[in-house]
Amino acid sequence: MAFKGVDYYGIEELLSDEEKMFRNAARGFLEKEVEPLVVNAFHKEELLNMKELAPKMGEVGMIGATIPQEYGGGGANYTQFGLLCQELERVDGALRSFVAVQSGLVMYPIWQFGTEEQKRKWLPQMASGKIIGCFGLTEPNRGSDVGGMETVAKKNGNVWVLNGAKEWISEASTADFALVYARTDEGVKAFLIPRGTEGFTQTFTDKKGAMRVGDVGTLALNDVKVPEEDVLPGSTRVKHVFACLNQARFGISWGAIGAAMSCYETALNYTKQREQFGAPIAAYQLVQRDLVNMLIEITKAQLLSYRLGRLLDAGKAKHQQISLAKKNNVEMARMCARTARSLLGANGCSYDYPPIRHMGNIEAVYTYQGTDFIHTLILGQDITGIQAFTRKL
Amino acid sequence: MPDVKMVVCCKQVPDPEAPPTAFKIDPTVNKVTLPRDIKPVIGQYDEFALEAALRIKDKVGGKITVLSLGNNIARDVIKKTLAVGGDELILLEDESFEEGDSWSTAYALAMAIKKIGEYDLIFCGRQSSDWDAGQVGLGIAEILSIPALTLARKVEIIDGKAKVEQVISDGYQVTEIGFPSVITVTSELGNLRYAALKGIMAAAKKQPVVWKPADIGLEPSQVGIAGRRVKLAKLFQPAKDAKCEIVEGESPAEAGANLAVKLREAKII
Repeated sequence: MAFKGVDYYGIEELLSDEEKMFRNAARGFLEKEVEPLVVNAFHKEELLNMKELAPKMGEVGMIGATIPQEYGGGGANYTQFGLLCQELERVDGALRSFVAVQSGLVMYPIWQFGTEEQKRKWLPQMASGKIIGCFGLTEPNRGSDVGGMETVAKKNGNVWVLNGAKEWISEASTADFALVYARTDEGVKAFLIPRGTEGFTQTFTDKKGAMRVGDVGTLALNDVKVPEEDVLPGSTRVKHVFACLNQARFGISWGAIGAAMSCYETALNYTKQREQFGAPIAAYQLVQRDLVNMLIEITKAQLLSYRLGRLLDAGKAKHQQISLAKKNNVEMARMCARTARSLLGANGCSYDYPPIRHMGNIEAVYTYQGTDFIHTLILGQDITGIQAFTRKL
Repeated sequence: MPDVKMVVCCKQVPDPEAPPTAFKIDPTVNKVTLPRDIKPVIGQYDEFALEAALRIKDKVGGKITVLSLGNNIARDVIKKTLAVGGDELILLEDESFEEGDSWSTAYALAMAIKKIGEYDLIFCGRQSSDWDAGQVGLGIAEILSIPALTLARKVEIIDGKAKVEQVISDGYQVTEIGFPSVITVTSELGNLRYAALKGIMAAAKKQPVVWKPADIGLEPSQVGIAGRRVKLAKLFQPAKDAKCEIVEGESPAEAGANLAVKLREAKII
């Protein structure tokens, strides 16, 4: 493995053998099987073929890592899942998105809120990568304001009829089925809708400046009929939606570290080799300041996510702590991507080096899974006791 | 033939993919020093050897005992052998095992294999990924008085024997070897499979067995640096002197001809 990691505070010593082994297995797999495909795919906005890659990732245990083994998952702890997300996003954010969506946003709610039959039907196939799911929550008119969801489901006998649209959905056009949220008279419910269902359209969105190797698109629902057995019985309120988002947000906090590590390593190697005015540019004080700032922020983010993983494993993590890690680490990765891009000078504008690709991707991450503002308000409410999400004008 | 009893020797080495500039040589003590951030890995050829054993286990069944010799063997590195399908891991781990030569290493491994007792096939990489001596596998065969085949690119079990495709300079030859025997494996066999999460979680429940020299009937004076038969006379980084000469000509063809003359004069072609 070419990448040796960034570990200024000896976090390696805090990890168990199986945590390090899984991280190393993921790193080896991704460096060999996926990384060589990424740059051209990003440049041309050609999707990585997840129908081909997902079964390979499933074999290594990358999909549904924290889901119990009896449902095909890996039975991993949260730190292992986090380390996996770090390695995925070090290669490209769209890969981490794929795994976070499969594991945290589709498998997790089926496991937590589904019937035994639903779990047996979907989870093992998803874990093996044979089936890909997507998570339909965000709407054209409703992003952060989840409670204002416009997609509706009305019950007609034993069948639900759904109408509405979902936008910016990862794996939208590839997915074999979608887990779609809709407002009902009984609260917000989650519906499992297979590809090809009448009235259900899956479309790819192109001309993106971020996540260009990943499938992002829209779902349209026009009188889509969903039988009662394809509704998750345990998911009836918005708080159940947030339980899924917390899984993915935790993964993002680690993924951001991966992107930042890639940027830092690239900048460090580059500035030690690039000579200007008779010396490597790493010999100049301003450059060293930038490198050190990146290292400091990465190290702080690592300690944050490491502790958060342990809190989650102990069942003690508050969702506000997940918000803090997501907000901090994504902002950190955003700074590292920009700093590294700048240190690489004109070469920093080339896809031959990863920072500008991470820079694009991290903009999407800054906004999705709770915008930076929203996480700020979550924390603001927690420390003041006053909500600042809504106001009456 | 079901249930082939296999021993695979795996050595922990510094990551060969680390940049060459990371390796420093101290000629005053004839030692290589490594920065702390260069992580150890299992030698690549030893990984091919393990894969050879795993394919036999997949096809006809069997038990794989992985044997590793050294000091401070990183558990998260060596337990990969269990995660991919090894059944048992024995570590010959002691400070006194350090700085051995091919002989002292082969001797200690052979004594450990004797203690394991039952074995049909012993797999080794064709050479280590650090010193590249390529002698340990054959040394084990010599000490145990059993036959050996080298440079295997494919191993199958047929009628109680191993059918081996051995790489030769212009292709490969097919040979058979009975049990017990040693087979050294080369890169053409293929990469070790990826360690999967479920395998890693299962491996976490297994603890390696650690044997000291006394456990295999050896004195510390017989292993490691004390047991060496080869003395390292001098270890140093050769000074490289590179010069660049532009070979010119009136046309590219003439420049090419001039280059050929110079190469002939230098006895390169």
